[in-house]
Amino acid sequence: MAAIYSLYIINKSGGLIFYKDYGSAGRMDTNDSLRLASLWHSMHAISQQLSPVSGCSGIELLQADTFDLHCFQSLTGTKFFVVCEPGTLHMESLLKHIYELYTDYVLKNPFYEMEMPIRCELFDINLAQAVQKDRVALLGR
Amino acid sequence: MIGVGKIKQYTNVLDRPLSKGKQEVSLSAFAFLFSELVQYNQTQVDNIAELERRLEDAGYAVGARVLELLCHREKGNRRETRLLGILSFIHSTVWKVLFGKVADSLEKGTEHEDEYMISEKELLLNRFISIPKDMGAFNCGAFVAGIVKGVLDNAGFPAVVTAHFVPVDGQQRPRTTILIKFAEEVLQREARLG
Amino acid sequence: MQFFGGSEISPSPPAPAASGNNAHMLYIFNRNGVCLLYREWNRPLKTLSSQQDHKLMFGLLFSLKSLTAKMDPTSVEKGNLGVPQLPGQGCSFHSFRTNTYKLSFMETPSGIKIILVTHPRTSDLRDSLKYIYNLYVEYVVKNPLYSPGTPIRYELFNKAVDQYVRGLG
Repeated sequence: MAAIYSLYIINKSGGLIFYKDYGSAGRMDTNDSLRLASLWHSMHAISQQLSPVSGCSGIELLQADTFDLHCFQSLTGTKFFVVCEPGTLHMESLLKHIYELYTDYVLKNPFYEMEMPIRCELFDINLAQAVQKDRVALLGR
Repeated sequence: MIGVGKIKQYTNVLDRPLSKGKQEVSLSAFAFLFSELVQYNQTQVDNIAELERRLEDAGYAVGARVLELLCHREKGNRRETRLLGILSFIHSTVWKVLFGKVADSLEKGTEHEDEYMISEKELLLNRFISIPKDMGAFNCGAFVAGIVKGVLDNAGFPAVVTAHFVPVDGQQRPRTTILIKFAEEVLQREARLG
Repeated sequence: MQFFGGSEISPSPPAPAASGNNAHMLYIFNRNGVCLLYREWNRPLKTLSSQQDHKLMFGLLFSLKSLTAKMDPTSVEKGNLGVPQLPGQGCSFHSFRTNTYKLSFMETPSGIKIILVTHPRTSDLRDSLKYIYNLYVEYVVKNPLYSPGTPIRYELFNKAVDQYVRGLG
């Protein structure tokens, strides 16, 4: 059973630039994932407006009945979020690590156009390793 | 780093001894700079062969300068005159200065007498670069090929140098091979020298 | 014989050890999005008028619910995004956390939504929300003077809620 269900990366204007599924039930087509991404983008912004105190930077963890959603937003507004089993640990550090991979293998790639969908072989390879490692760490728990 | 005291000591920059300099540069800074170099050149061309040539040209200028510098620093103002000498100079000395390590291998081509290959499992330049599928066999190592060509040309060994991806068994990523094809005159001279 | 029905209010769940008021606000919405109750204990930042604030909150909950229903990785049949879900239908959520606050959410089978906004490090408040729902049933639903769907203005209920929330960690 996969601990991580899926990973999304959204650019600063709410467009989905990366989506990877690691074994969710039910099919989600491209359209659905795009709409979910932009919906999340606006929910994230609204949650900042509703904060009772200043300095709110949006939802970091959403706990649903069947999954947890961990979200990390970089200072430049790119959002990374994973959907995982409820109570999965160390997701913050995984997201930070994915961010690091993004800065290395996506942003340093001369053939990547900013804010556009990510199609970088090296990013895929290293991401797969990172997620795999995370699973191994979970099995060892 | 050059200390403040040293700068005071030599008021004229020409009086200062050539230091070896700091041996490390930030990989990120380099990666971004190289990325921009590729992106800029991409806007100036309309086909991949042209892009390859421009990267090679950029590298050529680096190679010419590196040869000058290293002959002075490492070789006591002498340069290699023999084919194998210059090749191992590139494979070890040049590679070490540019990439911090000796190249993974230096081989002689099996099919042609005039061909030599320098291979890298993972070329530093390509560390962060994924080539889009529509660009085919394009390799940013063309820049390194240019450097090698620059060194060889200026040392008196004209050659055609190209960079290629070569798949390796059991590896996800291909290695990069710099293929050197020497001009006929070089081999003739080499034969005369015995 | 008691005046408003016979059921006892169940004992409140044990409040977390830390004392002091960690709660910021409480909202109760009915299924049509009417804000039945809004209590505020500690809210230094206010950017919107209260009406807009309530609308935004209800909209956020509605959208988050349709998001979680669509995203649910364990069910095969998820329906379309944005189609209104009946109470209890589809995968919902019970809380989210930002760096400045935590929002706990509960929806009853009748579509009443109870929202409690607290300090981000508050623990699981699902039982507390149930208790507040319990108070609502006791003090509001059982009150013959209350007409469903109108804002709640009962001193007794407010006091009970205030007192309970103040005890939360």
